Amino acid sequence: MSTHTDDQLATEPTAQPTSAVANRRRFLFGGGALAAGAILAACGDDDDDEPATTTAAGGADDDGTTPTTAADGGGDASADQGIAMFAASLELLAVSTYQAALDAAGSGALGEVPDAVAEFVTTARDQHQAALDAWNDAIVSGGGAEVTEPPAELAATVNAQFAEVSDVTGAAELALLLEQTAGATYLDVIPQIQGEAARALAGSIYPIAQQHAAILLFVLGMYPVPDVFVQTTLSAAP
Amino acid sequence: MRLDDARLRDLIVESQDLQADALRDTKTSLGTLRDIGASRRGQPIDLDRARRFNSDRRRLLRNGGYGMGALAARGMLATGIGAAVTAIVARPAGAQEDLDVSILQTAASLENLAVATYGAALSLPGFDANAVVVAFAETTMMQHDEHSGAFNAQAEALGGMAQNEPNPVLAPTVEAAKASLVGADGNADYAAIVELAAMLEEVAGDTYLANLTMLSDSESVSLMASVQGVEVQHLAVLRAVGALLAGGAPELIAIPTDVAALPAAAGSVAFPEPFEADDMARDAQEGAVQ
Repeated sequence: MSTHTDDQLATEPTAQPTSAVANRRRFLFGGGALAAGAILAACGDDDDDEPATTTAAGGADDDGTTPTTAADGGGDASADQGIAMFAASLELLAVSTYQAALDAAGSGALGEVPDAVAEFVTTARDQHQAALDAWNDAIVSGGGAEVTEPPAELAATVNAQFAEVSDVTGAAELALLLEQTAGATYLDVIPQIQGEAARALAGSIYPIAQQHAAILLFVLGMYPVPDVFVQTTLSAAP
Repeated sequence: MRLDDARLRDLIVESQDLQADALRDTKTSLGTLRDIGASRRGQPIDLDRARRFNSDRRRLLRNGGYGMGALAARGMLATGIGAAVTAIVARPAGAQEDLDVSILQTAASLENLAVATYGAALSLPGFDANAVVVAFAETTMMQHDEHSGAFNAQAEALGGMAQNEPNPVLAPTVEAAKASLVGADGNADYAAIVELAAMLEEVAGDTYLANLTMLSDSESVSLMASVQGVEVQHLAVLRAVGALLAGGAPELIAIPTDVAALPAAAGSVAFPEPFEADDMARDAQEGAVQ
């Protein structure tokens, strides 16, 4: 067991950022996925003369209809943009929460922090940052504005709970809630996403949140794969 | 090996109770799907045709000026052209419908293979050395069986048949690998079993990831994603267990475990990349009922 200081946490070698960037690029530019600029732009705004919007709320086509097929690559660019923005805001909340946990660990506020927990928090923060970057790349390339704020209501809840955290167990429980919320939210929105590339991006991020949750359950002494089917009960999707 | 067996069983039972709600939701969607399936025709499957159809449909909507919004703006939805375009958008090609069934059958074939593999592992001499490993194998086998049932129910609701056989392409490979699952001492080789199981879980997860953009039926997408999220958790656990075995710390494969004794790598080995890729995805049709 060891207690990590700010310096240790800041200087611990990790290949994650490089790996994250490389993997994100592989995803965005290879493997059949569309380039970042096409993720949301390719979602099929019916009127090519209209710029993509950056409103967060989803919606129907401009004639009021909702496409009935799931992955037809057509669909509603503004709705996909709204989902992307919410996903980005959720990732931002995860990044800031994990960073706060690292800061608290560095100050000694969480007591002794096991090596595996410190490694988990650092890795999870970096992976959520990579997800945030991917969504923001897609949003900006689609004509929207980069997301820089977490979802206000959820952030208030998380911040209030974080204020009560005084040890590693409490931090892990809060992290578990965040990861389960992220997983449920992605599960909820994936069928709603009309653009193939945007859906593929969501589908590639969602498993990582699920895996984070499994390891947190294990660390907390619970069975790591409790669900036969993932549920949307904890979805934060608007 | 340490194990709070009663606690573990309680946790599993608790999770199974929670799943009753999810299963009810899945069954609710089946009624709707059966209605859809009853109206669908059996057609020879042609992936290229389905993809061409969808590509053409996108092109029509995006570039031809006949998008739904454009049609509405021009007051043409009620015209013959508008009706034709509306029909194309609302109703996928028969080939695409059958592709959905094939995808679901292939998914069921992967689940059946997983059930058979975990079952084979559980029957190996010495597999019961670690009670947590046994509980994981039993629970995971049951979960895969539930997944197979759900995929088959969905395939049948869409007018297809249930796939009750293991994946025909991978099954021989797994069969051949079984010989290596027993160590020189005649007992189950946990490391080899974990490696094989992890491969199957990754194949399933990657296949379901790829399927998310190939399925046309949104209920099937929801089911596929729901199961994908569970397979990747199986994979995460197997990666962690494999690392603990490789690191010479099998005593830490316990619930609850000694968190303070876990090596730092235990905090990251289960998710080596920030994005899951579909590089191990199987062909969507290879497990279809012939």
